[in-house]
Amino acid sequence: MTTAPERLPAQEGTGLYVPEAATIVRTRDLTPRDKVFVVELPGRRNLGHTPGQFVQVSVFGFGEAPISVCSPPEKKAAFDLCIRRLGGVTGALHALGPGDKVGIRGPFGNGFPIESMKHRDVLIVAGGIGLAPVRSVIDSVFLNRGDYGRLIVLYGTGTPEDILFPAELEAWQLEEGNEILVTVDEPNSEWKGRVGVITTLFSEVKIDPVNTVVAALVGPPVMYRFVLMELEALGIPEEQIFFSLERRMKCGVGKCGHCQIEDQYVCMDGPVFSGTQIKKLHESI
Amino acid sequence: MRQQAVIGESGVREFLGRIVERTRVMAPVRRGKTAFDFQWVEDPGEIELTYPRTVLPPKKALLPPRETLLEFRAGPEPTSSPVVEDEPFALLGVHPCDLKAVALLDWAMGRRHEVADPHYLARRRAATIVGVDCLPDEYCFCTSVGSNDTREGADVFLTPIGGDYLVEVLTAKGEALIEGGTGLRKPTGAELAAAESFPQEKARRMTARIDADWRDLPCLLDAHYDSEIWERTAERCYSCGTCTNVCPTCFCFDVNDTVNLPLVTGTRRRRYDSCQFLDFALVAGPHNFRPDRVDRVRHRWFRKFVYLLGEHGMPFCVGCGRCSQACTAGISLTDVINAVIAEAKKGTAV
Repeated sequence: MTTAPERLPAQEGTGLYVPEAATIVRTRDLTPRDKVFVVELPGRRNLGHTPGQFVQVSVFGFGEAPISVCSPPEKKAAFDLCIRRLGGVTGALHALGPGDKVGIRGPFGNGFPIESMKHRDVLIVAGGIGLAPVRSVIDSVFLNRGDYGRLIVLYGTGTPEDILFPAELEAWQLEEGNEILVTVDEPNSEWKGRVGVITTLFSEVKIDPVNTVVAALVGPPVMYRFVLMELEALGIPEEQIFFSLERRMKCGVGKCGHCQIEDQYVCMDGPVFSGTQIKKLHESI
Repeated sequence: MRQQAVIGESGVREFLGRIVERTRVMAPVRRGKTAFDFQWVEDPGEIELTYPRTVLPPKKALLPPRETLLEFRAGPEPTSSPVVEDEPFALLGVHPCDLKAVALLDWAMGRRHEVADPHYLARRRAATIVGVDCLPDEYCFCTSVGSNDTREGADVFLTPIGGDYLVEVLTAKGEALIEGGTGLRKPTGAELAAAESFPQEKARRMTARIDADWRDLPCLLDAHYDSEIWERTAERCYSCGTCTNVCPTCFCFDVNDTVNLPLVTGTRRRRYDSCQFLDFALVAGPHNFRPDRVDRVRHRWFRKFVYLLGEHGMPFCVGCGRCSQACTAGISLTDVINAVIAEAKKGTAV
């Protein structure tokens, strides 16, 4: 017969929900509502994340919000967070600047299977602010360029004003072996680029389905469904497709229940799921 | 088991009184004419060892409806410190179904995902639990979910024998709790036999039930994911969250900050949340992953009998009957699941 103390784990610390005070060292406005925060942990300690992982960002008095890390793991002394001003916590974050402190817990989640992308072509599909989390993958590929095949980025946003990291998109495009395609739903008078939803970009690139690994984060669930259809139409096996999913999260450590999809907790089992997993889970996309 | 003894009817009050003198005690007390609830007690006379069920399960002692996780100081140099309650206490009068529920919470909050919630764990480790066996009313169905005859997680367990109780001491913690207790005597063979037959009497009196083996429920429910039964149940449901609030195995929570005047210090708190609420799965966009009531209603049954069952191995329903009794719309958990089972049987026949 088991007894309580044996069944229970030992009490190892009390800090599970205690954020660490990190310092904002720089900020950069990307759009009127999107801002990049460069954040340092105490002692410039390495966060130690993998691309696609997230942190819980705290502003005391306002709360916590899960935010993906948008810099590559190779950048060790500080990390980047791209934050869209949407609610209470993100609004409070936007009021902060260099020298101000934020609370950080994490990194949490599984991240993209970056190892499985090595020596293969990498296809990135991003919609809107979805470019931020996959930027960590793109930059990591750049910093270890010889380890990867082609890099193809398909990026769609609402309007030209919504385009994140425009200078970086141009820089990525300059390097040989990279194809960066950007489209907008609603052009303005100055826009000379492509117009249309993200799925219109698939016909413009030649993809070797056998040798391509996909990392995608595309916004509303309906877009995931269309993107998955396009990827499958290209013949890319579902186990080579990885989607990062967005869910409400309060704890980040598999307890609060908000992010559950059937038996999966997005904060622990995700946020990155393979096409195979996505197709099995009713409420995933 | 460490030892067995009998406490006579006349000695029970004194027995409980010694525990109350010794430590903090949470136990079932009468609330109004028909309700019972777990409360902190100082007067052992208030403790009810014979009761059908409490409004809230004993979970409230381990994972309270509202609790402070952190105290913080905002401003240029923000700091915070965790608030962890580890003062020892005794949780008296816990029915087997609720013991099973605590065991499930131990897994969910303690071991699941290899992360232990320090706030739950501290309270749990500080608790000494005294279980007591019971007879069912019309809402109970513990025999259908394997929680009718468990002592899991209990440190001491009481089985009624007439007005007397067989006292089983199961752990060192339990031993310490009743140490020096007066009025305990060696059980007779007849008393041991009476205690042994108690679970059969309990099972015999059970009227509510699930019409299938719980091990078959994951497949069965999966096959009826799109059944109209969910829609029909959703038409009656008010999404009020009462079912999850009173559930002994529900553990989802929300976290919010509260700031004290003059806006420098504050607390980060959690409180029970409910998957039945419209905004539970709402994300920025806005997009809601369970926008329709039917999605949320089905989710509750699937979480109990498919998702968590698949992960843990036991259903995350212990048959306590609280949700069925408390439902503002009169929805019975067993009626719904039995309708699905009936539909499945009909399907097979055709």
